[in-house]
Amino acid sequence: MLLSDLYLWLSYSHVSTHKLNKLLSKLSPTQLWDALDGDARAYALDEKTLTALKRTHSVDFITRAKQYLTANNIEYVTRADPIFPAALAQSEVNPPLVLYYKGNLDIAREPCVAVVGTRRASPYGKYATQKIVSELAERFTIVSGLATGIDGFAHSAALAAGGNTIAVLGSGIFNVTPVSNLGIFDEICKKGLVISEYTPDVHASEYTFPQRNRIISGLSRGTLVIEAAERSGSLITADCALEQGRDVFAVPGDIDKPRSLGTNKLIKQGATPVTCAQDVFDFYDMARAKPSGGRSTHIELDFFEQRVLDTLKDGEATFDVLAEQCGMSVAELSAALSALVINGLIHEKAKNLYCIGGTP
Amino acid sequence: MLSGIHSYALDGLNGYGVTVEVDIQAGLPKTDLVGLPDAAIKEAKERVRSAVKNSGYDYTPRKITVNLAPANTRKEGSIFDLAIALGILCATEQAGVDEHKKPLAVARDYVFLGELSLSGEVRKINGVMPMLISAREQGVKRVVVPYANANEARYIRGIDVYAVHNLREAVGLVNGLPAAPVEKSDIGIAIEAPYGEDFKFVKGQYSAKRAMEIAAAGGHNILMIGAPGGGKTMLAKCLPGILPDMSEAEALETTKIHSAAGILDERIGIVTRRPFRSPHHTTSRVALTGGGSTARPGEISFAHNGVLFLDELPEYPRAALEILRQPLEDGVVTVARAARTVEYPASFMLVASMNPCPCGFYGSASHECTCTPSQIQKYMSRISGPLLDRIDLHIHVDEVKYEELSAQNGEAESSADVKARVNAARALQLLRYRDVGVFCNAKMTSAMIKRYCALDTAGERILSSAFEKFGLSARAYTRVLKVARTIADLDGAVDISSRHVTEAVMYRSLDRSVK
Repeated sequence: MLLSDLYLWLSYSHVSTHKLNKLLSKLSPTQLWDALDGDARAYALDEKTLTALKRTHSVDFITRAKQYLTANNIEYVTRADPIFPAALAQSEVNPPLVLYYKGNLDIAREPCVAVVGTRRASPYGKYATQKIVSELAERFTIVSGLATGIDGFAHSAALAAGGNTIAVLGSGIFNVTPVSNLGIFDEICKKGLVISEYTPDVHASEYTFPQRNRIISGLSRGTLVIEAAERSGSLITADCALEQGRDVFAVPGDIDKPRSLGTNKLIKQGATPVTCAQDVFDFYDMARAKPSGGRSTHIELDFFEQRVLDTLKDGEATFDVLAEQCGMSVAELSAALSALVINGLIHEKAKNLYCIGGTP
Repeated sequence: MLSGIHSYALDGLNGYGVTVEVDIQAGLPKTDLVGLPDAAIKEAKERVRSAVKNSGYDYTPRKITVNLAPANTRKEGSIFDLAIALGILCATEQAGVDEHKKPLAVARDYVFLGELSLSGEVRKINGVMPMLISAREQGVKRVVVPYANANEARYIRGIDVYAVHNLREAVGLVNGLPAAPVEKSDIGIAIEAPYGEDFKFVKGQYSAKRAMEIAAAGGHNILMIGAPGGGKTMLAKCLPGILPDMSEAEALETTKIHSAAGILDERIGIVTRRPFRSPHHTTSRVALTGGGSTARPGEISFAHNGVLFLDELPEYPRAALEILRQPLEDGVVTVARAARTVEYPASFMLVASMNPCPCGFYGSASHECTCTPSQIQKYMSRISGPLLDRIDLHIHVDEVKYEELSAQNGEAESSADVKARVNAARALQLLRYRDVGVFCNAKMTSAMIKRYCALDTAGERILSSAFEKFGLSARAYTRVLKVARTIADLDGAVDISSRHVTEAVMYRSLDRSVK
């Protein structure tokens, strides 16, 4: 028996990785396989685990499982294989035995940064994700969890910037949730990498999502939390990162916004505050690949646009305030604002609320 | 003896002549009504009996047969009361005869419309305006209507209309007494009360007001999205005040519908103000489109040439919203029933409002939204794509923070000022489309868009960057072009410049939404 086949057997038994890792600390996979042939009682296995392990304990089953995976274009890599992502293998906290994946596994070996955050992203969270990730993706593979909200934005922004991105699923590859992100899923399968530690037919549950967070952080050198409430799954990822000895970054937010309480707390606890991708590059002593302001075309502003830009220098302003302060007609103001947004010089922070700085 | 009195009936909005024939025969006293009458007409014999008696005439106890010809169409309502009463009086030689009891031919020159009260008064009826218009087209010269409907008759030229208070006056006409027809007047002089809401009372909301102005100028459908209490309803109520003036033809068309449905203000007798209809979201489908066993126009036809305001759009049953699609496209609604098919005009401007999510604060700068992404998605998906497709402008309306607005700004621009600009922009459109059969930018076909919405290079460039930036769809493209055309018209510009294009992109709030 190949060692990788044995890992596949263990994975298909659906016994929790935590339990299997505990077992494997005492004996090798081969020993475990042989033990099940004989008297397994010596290893003090509980009845449930024993039944589960015995269910898939046949060469025939493993062969069929492999055929099934090949037929469905799903590849897998086990801890025994040399191409198993090194960062994950080195992370000592409950590493997965097998990863099922679609896409290009090589990008997992490049320097990765995890970008995570709340599912209920605010416009600010979306803006921050797009702005930071689009630059971060120039040097890092962006790892996230394909959830709605920040995760989805991070994947999209990385793809849009032509960077690499890895989606780590909390379910089997056949049961992608949420369905609304299936479009991104397909695109990542083609241009990036989709990973799951679960066999393809496993459905997501409340236990699988926190579990996959350790893979997100484990693959990455650091984890950047964009927006998180006080009790957020993203904070689990940050905890995993710390346990795995990785770095934690957080984007600061308003002190009165519930969705920034988690990230602000992380900063208080010692996470590195990040307001732009350069902060992460500096942390790792990296230079940016491209000079900042990658836009080569100089945008010519007309009188009205310049006027609006000058007014916004003091900070954000609503349309009504701009209309009263800029001294131009509503039509001129609308046209100027829209042009500035299209050209990426300002952005709409919330509806009818404008702020300097754009997204690409 | 036999008599025949002319009357009129409505099928949809088209009138047709009905002859009320009355025959008196020997036999047991009994009054029979034939010619497919409905319940209201069957009861007419009781009303007529009392009205005749109480007007001082004799209701002879004999066998009376009343026939409503043509006998094969279903007739409804109480409009034949007057004709039936006169028919009976003529048949019993109490009216329409000279002093020698020789029949006069005068009655045949008139069409009689009206409901009778038991005392012999002639009461108000519905549908006088469309019946008069049809009657004129069919060559009728004189019509007698209830006095309460006299105002509707003032605006129909080319037909003499006589207003009567009671049965005795009508008998006078039949007996050939001289009477003066209702005086005609110009539609322009009809004065209706001013609109309740005015833009000058709306503080701030500059962007929304501008969008309203554009919508009014180009006849565009508009959707307002925003938190509860943001002023969406107030803005919508201001809209009729800035809509362009109605033309005479438009006024008559709308009045026809209102008259047929009996919602016309009898003191004025004509609709010169664009209607503003806001049916509640519990309104049934039939009440919206019209129809029912006795066909009646619905809310969307009442809004003809005006505004149909649907507050809290997602609360309407989906089926009710989907039926708006055909009228939005064709400007008419076809109500087909087993017995007949009726077409009502329904060319309206759709103004809708909705919250962005169940809690109402999604995307708001002032409040945190507490909805989950799937809740928001579910809420938005209550409005179908094809319906959203037909809405040119969507804007976000947010609560105004008064402390942010400077006090010295005083009163905002009044609706009258905005209306002047809208009228000017509409005039440009009427001139441009005089040969192609549309009246406003919103109704442009794709061929017309190609012809009238050409962009210069700068415009093309900024539009394509906008599309890239926001990931706009192909259907958004034509919407933006139409709106840009209207903005250029408001500007008095012949060509669409990049400034107009960028402003038009502002009003695609849903496309630009934070997903």
